[in-house]
Amino acid sequence: MSTDTKTTTKSTVDAKERGLVDRFTASPFVSRLLSNRLALAGITIIVAMVLIAIYARLFVDLDVITQSQLGTNPNRAAPSLDFPFGTDGQARDILPRVAYGAWYAMLFGTVTVAASTTLGVSLGIIAAYYSDVTDNVIMRTMDVLLAFPSLLLALALVAIFPDDLGLWRAVAALTLVYTPRFARVVRGAALTVLENEYIDATVALGAADPRVLARHVLPNCLAPITVQSTLNFGLAIIDLAALSFLGFGAEAGTPSWGLMLSNGVSQGLLTGVWWWSFFPGFFLALTVLGFNLLGDGMRDALDPRMREAVD
Amino acid sequence: MSTAPDLPADERPPLTEQASVRLHLVGTALVAGVAVVTVALVGATLLGDLTAAIDTAFALGSLVFGFGLLGWSSAVALGRGIEAMQEHLDTHTGWTEPDARRAMARILGFGLGVMAGATLVGSFVYGSVL
Amino acid sequence: MISTRFVLKRLLLLVPVLVGVASLVFAVLHLSPGDPALTIAGERASEEFVQQVRESLGLNDPIWVQYGRFLANAAQFEFGESFIIQRNTSVREVLTNKLPVTLELAIYGQLIGIFLGIPLGILSAVKQDSFTDHTTRIGALAGISVPIFWSGPLLILLFAQTLGWLPTSGRISVLYNVEAIRVTGLVTVDTLLAGEWEMFVSAARHMILPASVIGIYSMALISRMMRSSMLEVIRQDYMRTARAKGQGAKITVLKHGFRNAMIPVITVIGIQFGGLLGGAVLTETVFAIGGIGTLLVEAIKVGDYPIVQGTVLTFAFLFTLVNLGVDITYSILDPRIEQ
Repeated sequence: MSTDTKTTTKSTVDAKERGLVDRFTASPFVSRLLSNRLALAGITIIVAMVLIAIYARLFVDLDVITQSQLGTNPNRAAPSLDFPFGTDGQARDILPRVAYGAWYAMLFGTVTVAASTTLGVSLGIIAAYYSDVTDNVIMRTMDVLLAFPSLLLALALVAIFPDDLGLWRAVAALTLVYTPRFARVVRGAALTVLENEYIDATVALGAADPRVLARHVLPNCLAPITVQSTLNFGLAIIDLAALSFLGFGAEAGTPSWGLMLSNGVSQGLLTGVWWWSFFPGFFLALTVLGFNLLGDGMRDALDPRMREAVD
Repeated sequence: MSTAPDLPADERPPLTEQASVRLHLVGTALVAGVAVVTVALVGATLLGDLTAAIDTAFALGSLVFGFGLLGWSSAVALGRGIEAMQEHLDTHTGWTEPDARRAMARILGFGLGVMAGATLVGSFVYGSVL
Repeated sequence: MISTRFVLKRLLLLVPVLVGVASLVFAVLHLSPGDPALTIAGERASEEFVQQVRESLGLNDPIWVQYGRFLANAAQFEFGESFIIQRNTSVREVLTNKLPVTLELAIYGQLIGIFLGIPLGILSAVKQDSFTDHTTRIGALAGISVPIFWSGPLLILLFAQTLGWLPTSGRISVLYNVEAIRVTGLVTVDTLLAGEWEMFVSAARHMILPASVIGIYSMALISRMMRSSMLEVIRQDYMRTARAKGQGAKITVLKHGFRNAMIPVITVIGIQFGGLLGGAVLTETVFAIGGIGTLLVEAIKVGDYPIVQGTVLTFAFLFTLVNLGVDITYSILDPRIEQ
C-alpha cells in the first residue's frame, strides 16, 4: 500500500508511523508473501469470513436463530429466495445460523490459538535458553504429545474437564494439544537467534536472562510464530467443529458449524436434506482452506533458516 | 510396586557400563521424585486432608510415569520414522532417538519416584490410622 | 533375512507401551471429576448401595493396591463388565465384536492412501514444478482442509442419495445375515470365505465411500513424503548419469530409485496410522458404522469407564502392531539395517 498519503505534517509520530509501514512493506517476508497469488486468495477468504462473523455478531439476534421457529417459518424448506440456505428441522433460517457459526469459529479459534501460542512460546523459549537437561526434558515431552493423533488426544483430554464448560472444554483440550507445536517452532527459531553473536555480547554485558529473552530473542521469533499460528488456526477450527460434531462441544441449539453438521448427518442424510450439511460444511472448509493457503504462503516466504521448524 | 515393569535398562542387555549410566539417569530422577512428593505431602498434612493428597499424588505420579514410559517406547519404536519425517518435510528440530530416550528415562524415573514416595508416606499413614 | 530375535525385541516393546498407556488411563480416571461408584449405582441410589459398589470395585483400597490390580487386569485384557453401554457384557466381548469393524475400515483406508499417495508423489516429483505437480500439491492441501464430517456427507448425498450408485450407511445390506457366517469379523473377508459372492459385493460397495474418505487424509501425507523422498533420489549422481544416457536408462534407474525412495515413506506410514485411527472415529459416526471409534466416543460421553479403558488400550495395541509391521517391511527393503 502507498504510504505517502498522510505524511504532509512533520510531527514525529507521523514519521515514526511511516517508518513502521515502510519497514513492513519493505520486509522481504511481506513482499514475498504479497507476490504469492494463493496466499492472497487465502487472505481474501479470511477477511470475508471475519466480516461475516462481525456482521453476524452485531446484527443477528441469537435468540431468534437458536429457538424453534415452527409456525413462523416453513419447516425443512429447501433453499429459496426467502431462505437462501433453507430452513432446518425446527424451521430456523439456516443462513444467519451459518453466519453466526463464523463468529463462533473465529472467536473460539482465536482463543485456542492465542492460548496455545502463549503456553508454547514460553516453554519453547525456556527450552532454548536453558538448553541441556531442561531443554531435553521439555522438548521430548512435547515430541511425545506431538506423536499422539491430535483428535484422540483431544478426546482423552476432554474427558478430564467437567462437561458444564461447553465449548470451553474443547478449547481447553485443544490448547493443550497444540502447545507442543508452538514450543517446537519457537525453540527452533530461538536457537537460531541465540546463535547470533550479539546475544553473547548482551549476556557478557550483564543483561539478566528474562531481559535478553524479551528484548532480543522473542522479537526475532515473531515471524515463525505468526506462520505457525496461521497454519494452526485452520486446524483449530476443524478440531473444534469435530469435537462439537462428536458431542463434546457446543450445547444443543447453538449455531456452531460442527453441531449443525452433526444434525445434518444424523437427521438429514437419509432423507436427502442436503442443505443441512452442505452450507455449514462449505463455510467451514472454505475458512480452513483460507488459513491453510495463507499459512502455506507465509511458510514459503519465511527465511529458510526459520522455515525448518514450522509444519 | 511389585507390578511396576522392569526399567528400560533391562530391555536390551547392554554392557554393564551402559547399564550403570542408564540406572544412574533413572535413579537420580527417581530420588528427585521421592523427595518432591515427600515434601509436598508433608505440606499437605499441614493443610489437612492427607489421604486425598496421597491419592492425587500417586495418580499424578502414574501420569508422569505412564507418559515417560510411553514416550520411551515410542522413541524406540518410531525413532527412525520420526527422523525420516523431519528430514523430508523440512522440519529439522534436531530430534534424535537417543536424546528422546534419555529425556523419557528421566521423566519416567521421576514419575516412579513420586509413586514410590506416595506409597511410602501412604503406608505409613494407613499403618498408623488402622 | 529377518531374525526372530529382531521381531521378538519389537514385540517386547508392547509391554512398556501397554503399561504406559494403562498408567495414563489409571491416572486420568483418578484425576477426573466424577465418582465411578456413583455412576454405576445411579444418581438416586442409597448411600449404602453406593458404598457397596465402591467396596466391590475395590475403590476403598489404598491407591497403590488399586494401581497394581489395574495393571494386572490390563495385562490379561480384563476390564470387567460394561456398566452402561452394554450392561452385564464383558468389555472383552464388546471389543471383540466391534474391533474388526474399525480394523476393516482402517485397512482399506490405508490401502487407498498408499496406492494413491505413492503414484501421485512420484508423478509430482518426476514432473517437478509442472502443472501436474502444482495440481497434486494444491489437491493435497484442499484434501486436508475438507473435514471428514463434511466430505463424508457430501459423498453420501451425491453417490447414494442422488445417483443411487452406492449405499448410504452401514457395513452390508440389512437383507443379509453376516453374523451367521462370522469368522474373522471383517465382512468383506467373511463373505468371501463363505463363498457368498452377492454378499461380498454388497459389503464391498458399503466400504467404498468410508474407506475413500479416510484414505484421502493419509494420501495427502504419503504423497508429500513420496515427492520429497523421490526428488532426493532423483538428484543423486547416478540418476543424473542415467538421465544423460537417455530415456530407456532413465526408466530403469527410476525403478531402482523407487526402492530407495520408498524407505522413508514406509516409516511414515506407521506414524500416520495413528491419525488414521483418529479419522476412523469421525468416519464411523458419519457412515453409522459402529466400530471401536464410536464406542470410545459413546463411552466417554456416558462415563462407561471399563469400556474407555479397554478401547484406549486396544488403540495403543493396534498402533504398536502396525509399527511392528512397518519395521519388518523396512528391514526387508533396507538390508543395511542392523537387526
